[in-house]
Formats: sequence, structure tokens, C-alpha cells
Amino acid sequence: MEKVLITGISGGQGRLLARRLMANFEVCGVDRVGWEGHPRGIRVHVVDVRKKKFEDVIRTEMPTTIVHMGFIRHFRADPKVRHDVNVRGTKQLLDHCVNNGVQNLVVVSSGYVYGAFPENPYFMDEDSPLSASRSYPEIRDLVEVDTLASAFLWRYPHIRTCVLRPVNVLGYFVHSMIGQYLRQPRVPTVMGFDPMMQFIHEDDLSEAIAKALEQSLQGVFNVTGSGEVPLHTAIAETGGTAWPIPELLLRPMFSRLFRMGLIPYPPGALDFLKFPITLSGDRFVEATSFRPMFGLRETLQSVRG
Amino acid sequence: MATSNSLTALADFAGALLPLSARDLQTQIDERLAQVPNEINPYGFDAYGMCPDWMRQVLLPAALLYRYYFRVETFGIERLPRGRVLVISNHAGQLPFDGAMLGMALLLEATPPRIARSMGEYWIARLPWVSVAAARSGALIGTPQNCSHMLENEECVVAFPEGVRGMNKLFSQRYQLQRFGNGFMRLALGHDTPIVPVAIVGSEEQQPGIANLASLGRALGMPPIPITLTFPWLGPLGLLPLPVKYRIYFGEPMYFEGEESDEDAIIEGKVDEVKDQITRMLERGRNERKSVFR
Repeated sequence: MEKVLITGISGGQGRLLARRLMANFEVCGVDRVGWEGHPRGIRVHVVDVRKKKFEDVIRTEMPTTIVHMGFIRHFRADPKVRHDVNVRGTKQLLDHCVNNGVQNLVVVSSGYVYGAFPENPYFMDEDSPLSASRSYPEIRDLVEVDTLASAFLWRYPHIRTCVLRPVNVLGYFVHSMIGQYLRQPRVPTVMGFDPMMQFIHEDDLSEAIAKALEQSLQGVFNVTGSGEVPLHTAIAETGGTAWPIPELLLRPMFSRLFRMGLIPYPPGALDFLKFPITLSGDRFVEATSFRPMFGLRETLQSVRG
Repeated sequence: MATSNSLTALADFAGALLPLSARDLQTQIDERLAQVPNEINPYGFDAYGMCPDWMRQVLLPAALLYRYYFRVETFGIERLPRGRVLVISNHAGQLPFDGAMLGMALLLEATPPRIARSMGEYWIARLPWVSVAAARSGALIGTPQNCSHMLENEECVVAFPEGVRGMNKLFSQRYQLQRFGNGFMRLALGHDTPIVPVAIVGSEEQQPGIANLASLGRALGMPPIPITLTFPWLGPLGLLPLPVKYRIYFGEPMYFEGEESDEDAIIEGKVDEVKDQITRMLERGRNERKSVFR
């Protein structure tokens, strides 16, 4: 049985993926925190991907496949630590892959790397520029990670590397920013804007990652769920009440509250509530014949458990 | 749910007060929208944010303008082919009433009824409410990718290749077509799409422009702000167009052959053919009318 190592295994998505892969793979993982009550047969190592100890884990576990999803995506941590873990951590992981005979690598990036802009066309493909840092500097580390992984893909063609860019992930277990945002009873929105958004269920994302692994997929792929809805419809469907605020008030309010640490969203996130980013998942569907199991309605309702 | 029920009740009440002609128009809008073949998700939207239900609720004022204010008359709309098509029109009048009236014509008079998928300027997406209204009624930001999606979906794409240059025409420049962009021709060639040239007569006099304030527009991140006979002197009221009569001429579909990647010079030649056709129809329209208002 092939062995797969998952970084960020203790996170909501990591746990789901580990359970999904258990039947067909020998699964181990690393994370900065432990996973209490993890299934028997899965080994969890508490290490920091930036530390030497991480390479020791790879040397002893000898995985043939690595799924890299151990990123800090929230903004509660020190931004310097976040950047270091995400960017330097990824760089070192890529080096370890080269030095330790890893054959398959899946990097779970995100659809946010394209950025939200008024001139965005609908259903952007994978060749669209990664412009997120222009309006949302707080996530430039995620853009750098994506770029590192994509460059790695071309530089080491003998390692089958796959970069996945999923749309907004929702579900009961996953701690996505968009999930937290939609879970609020009153959801602030930008008055006069209602962009189309895409969502994917956490189980569908696990399935997509599993498909990429099983087929040793190589390349960069958007991963989409079932369809798209305007933001306000999504808010209504998840059971919240939209609270439209004029941008002139909302933007300064957001930056102040964010700097004081009272809200977890930097002001750059506001553009994602104004302009659409919808992605074309056709390339992934063609390569893997992936079909999401969850419809839009089930996906949206899953944030309430 | 309670609010939406009371809204429906309110709409019903308002509907009861409407004069008969307006109710007829509303019925017509409802019937026509029901025939539109677009793919709509369970929430009532297509993949690009277009929403027939939303249109049902807001199109009546536009239809009233169409029938009773601009008294729109169409010529040759039966020439519109089924399936994918690029409708290319002149553009004028400071505010895009021409786009709205062309859209209404395609919905109310074309067989089968078509939703105009208008290719909008980039800055529209920055405007609160306007951006949402545009998306709900079927418009998109005019990027080549968006246009490709629409043509591949067999939609009726409406583009104004004069863009803001056309909308901001001064009164002295009326019916003089400004420079056309080439993008639409490349898309037509790349997607084997017929082009239907359209001439709108009337819009070019609806809001006589005297000057344009380019720097003020730039400061607001918008196109040049026009000074007209009535704006800004009469405030928002000055945005109201004159009750000109609209005549919309649809030309024979034009089929072009060539490569999407041809040199600019070759593409420009084809663009000029379309432009000449529109110029001829504009001349015909101006000769046929009795006055600007009749």
C-alpha cells in the first residue's frame, strides 16, 4: 500500500481527507497541533514544517505521496509567522520532496489567488494572472506559495505535482474564513454590491484531492462545486441576515477593527464581497471526471451543521 | 418570508392600480421572459447573475419608456438569426437609454424573445446598485472571455464598439460614428458568429451634449462627465432625456471569414464594412423621419 503524508492533518479538511484516504493508502500526517482521538492506523506527528524535525519525519515515514495543505489561512497569528510558515515552509517541503524520493505531490492552494477585481471575467481558467496581492496584500503569501508550487511543477517533471485551486470551501468541520463569515447571525455586506460566488462542500474537496492523488495528476487545476449564486442569496440560504453597509463606512470600520484585533477579516477581503471571482473547473473535470456530490443548497446549508 | 409575502401583496395592490395598458405590458413582459431559453438555477439566476424574476419586477418602467416615451419603432428585427449573434450598434446620448431600448426591443419584438447580453464598460462594475442591476438584467463586463462564454452559450451579445467615445458625443457630432474597437470582429471570427448591424436613430439627440469634463470623470474613476443643455443645471432632473422618437434598424446578418489572429489592418477593413452599413442605415433613418420627435 502506498503511503501518503498530509501536512495540516489536524485541521478540519486534513481530518476529512485522512479518513477518506485510509481505505486505499497508508496515511500519516504532520501538524503544529495534535489530533486527539485520531483513527488507529493514522500516525500524527506534531512538528513545525519549517523545522529540521519535519525532514526527519519524511526520512523515517518515507511517503511516496505528500498532500500539502498545512497553511495558516486565518489572520489571528502574527503576519510574519504566517508568511514564514506558508512560504518558507512550502519551500522546504518542496526541497524535502526532491531529496527523499517523493513521487506525487498535491498542493492545496486556493481560488483566492486570482484576486477580486471589477475587470475579472466570469469562469477564469488556470492561466489567468494571480493578482490577489494587488488589492489584498494580506494573502500575498498564499500567492507566493502557489507560484512556488507551480514553478516546482515545471522544474521537476519527474515528481508528479498537482496544484489545486478550490473555490470557497464550506462545511461543518472545515474552518474557512468564508464559513465563519456566513455563520454570523448578521452578515455585513457592501451596500449596492452582490457578486456571484462559487462554493464547494468540504467532502467534495476531499474527494477531489483523493482523485488527484489516485490519478497522479500533474498540472494546475481550479476545483469547483455545484454552480454559483449571488452573495446575498448565499447569506439567506445559510440562515443569516445580510447587513448592507455603505462602503465609505465599512472600509474604515473594517481596517480599524482589524488592527484592534476585533475582527478576523482584513480590509482587502472586502473586494471579495464586491467583485465576482468565478472559476472554470472544466480542466479538472476533464482530467479526473470529478463530479461534486453536494448540490448548491446542501453545500450552503452545511455551514449550520 | 413574511417580508417577501407582504412585498408580493404590495406588488399585487400596485398592479391593481395600474392602468390597463401598463398591465398589458406587464403581461407581455412576463410571457416573453417565460419563453427565454436560458438555463436558470434553483435560486432563479443564470451562471452570470442574470435573473428573469428580477427583470419581471423592474422592467415595466423600461417598457413604458419604450412604448410611450420614446415610442420605439423597429425595422427588420425579423432578420435576427437564432442562436449566437453579435448585435453591433451606434452609441450616444450620455446615458445608455439606447442600450436599454435595444434590449427591450430584443425581448418584446424578436422571435424568439432574446435577452440582450450587453458588453459593459469596466467601470460599471465599480458602481454600487448599477453593477447589480446590470448583472441581473443580463449585462456583463465586456472582456473577450465573457463575450466568448456568451457566444458559446448561443446568446445574443450586444456591443457598442464606440464605447464611451460614442456615449459622450457632443451635439455637433451626432450621427458621426466614432472610432470602433476591433475586439468584436475578432470574437465574431473566432466563434463563427454572424454580426447584425444596428442603427439607432433618436438617441443621438436625446441629451444634447455641450462639453465633457474629462478631469472630473478621471477623479471619480469614471468616463468624462458631460455638460448638456439640462445637466447639471437642473440637477438630477436634468438627466431626463428629451422625448425623442426612437427608430431601431436591424441590418442583414453579416458573415465574415478570416482568422481571429489576423493583423489589425485586415480586421479593421472588416470592421469598416460593419461601420459603413450602420452609417447607411442611420442616413436612411434620418431621411425617413419627419422630425426628431415624430
